[in-house]
Amino acid sequence: MNCYNCGCRLSEYDFCTGCGVDVTIYKKIMFMSNRFYNDGLEKASVRDLSGAIISLRQSIKFNKNNIDARNLLGLVYFEMGEVVTALQEWVISKNLRPKKNIADDYINMIQANQTRLDAINQTIKKYNQALMYCYQDSQDLAVIQLKKVLSYNPKYVRAHQLLALLYINAEEWEKAQKELQKCSQIDTNNTATLRYMREVEHMLMPEEPAKNTPRKKKTAENVVRYQSGNETIIQPVNVKESKGVSSLLNLGIGVIIGVAIACFLILPSQIQNAKAGINDELRMVSEQSDAKTATIDELEQKVQKLTDEKAALAEELAASQETDDTLKATDGLMMAAGAYLEAPDDIEKIAGYLEALAAEDESSEAENGENAEDNRSESFVALYDNLVKAVGPRLADYYYNIGRTAYFDEDYDTSIPNLQWAYQYNSANNEALFYLGNSYRGIGELDTAKEIYAQVIDNFPGTRTAAQSETNLAEINNAEQQN
Amino acid sequence: MIDFEEELKKFHPSLEVEDAEEAIYGQDLTDMADLLIKMVEKTKTEEE
Repeated sequence: MNCYNCGCRLSEYDFCTGCGVDVTIYKKIMFMSNRFYNDGLEKASVRDLSGAIISLRQSIKFNKNNIDARNLLGLVYFEMGEVVTALQEWVISKNLRPKKNIADDYINMIQANQTRLDAINQTIKKYNQALMYCYQDSQDLAVIQLKKVLSYNPKYVRAHQLLALLYINAEEWEKAQKELQKCSQIDTNNTATLRYMREVEHMLMPEEPAKNTPRKKKTAENVVRYQSGNETIIQPVNVKESKGVSSLLNLGIGVIIGVAIACFLILPSQIQNAKAGINDELRMVSEQSDAKTATIDELEQKVQKLTDEKAALAEELAASQETDDTLKATDGLMMAAGAYLEAPDDIEKIAGYLEALAAEDESSEAENGENAEDNRSESFVALYDNLVKAVGPRLADYYYNIGRTAYFDEDYDTSIPNLQWAYQYNSANNEALFYLGNSYRGIGELDTAKEIYAQVIDNFPGTRTAAQSETNLAEINNAEQQN
Repeated sequence: MIDFEEELKKFHPSLEVEDAEEAIYGQDLTDMADLLIKMVEKTKTEEE
């Protein structure tokens, strides 16, 4: 701080040590200037730009040579978008202190870029034009101009405020609020901003505390127009919706849509899944069926094979049985021949062997269905014939005696076989045949008896037995006719 | 309630770049110190 009179540096005394003038009031003025500067600096640091302007202007009013205050004032103006006003202060500052002044850098920053300077100038011109539109009540044009201004210079507080005022006048509260919020971000304590904000908030929230409650306003056009968030909703008045019918209709449509979705989207996939499942089961069943078919074929082949083996074995068995039968028959004949050779007179024994041989032949015929004599060898037949030739007559007599005795004893069961043997070994014995016929008549086998009588008549004509046979035959026929 | 017309009156046209020079020259830079000096000089003159 220098003396205003002599320019000497002042000390702590209330007078100048150089010229002696009283500097009490001067010092106070300087202190006040510095005080206001400090206050302005503090406000600027918290973005209270309007308050900072007031304090800094007071500062330079007390001391126009307070370069720091003036430079800061210019800076605050620049931050608020008042570029020319800022330049004004910096130019003055530079004139007051040409050297070592930061205002020089600020001025160069703006004036160095001519394009930027022109843009700033255009911005100001548009703002002034917008203000003119406002005076001329062309508020729409003013809004358009202000939007352009703010696109060039988004920190222009007055343009924001003017635009907000226009929105307030048009009752576009939300838009006004937005502009005012931008103002608050630049200059927090601006009086006009705060006043407009209070008005807007009052309009947006008249009585309710909720923030997004819409406010309805009736216009002369019979529509209800209100703000809901960022949207403007226009609704005609006196339009009633038939809630009952429409809700039922909507419900019906919803049900139809749901059914359609189920039919066209859900059902085909389920059908496809079911088909896939059925195909899998079918494939499984087919595989099982094929396996079983293969097993059946294998078993059939086995059965066929076993059947063939069985047939072959049966043939072998039959062949072996034939051989066995032949052996048996040969043994019987040999035994009969042996018995004759040992005891030619033992007719009973020989008869027994020959009966056994005959019985074997009968059983073999019954089993095989073939005539046993057809399977005899020539030697067997020759031996048998010779044996029968040798002992035949004696066998005939043996059997005839037994049979005749049994006939007369009416033991027809004994007489019949013996008389058969007797006739077999001696076919000339007509009495044996006649008694045989009577034996059959005696046991009631009349047909057999008639056959035998007929044989007697045919084979032994003119004999007593033939005549008797004719008589017996006639008696039988008469008896049958009478029955 | 904000009166648009009244509020509008508070808005003044901004200085354009061409008008800056004139505004600078037309600015009165008299401060309190200058007033004090004038008052002291006047007092001196009156005493003399």
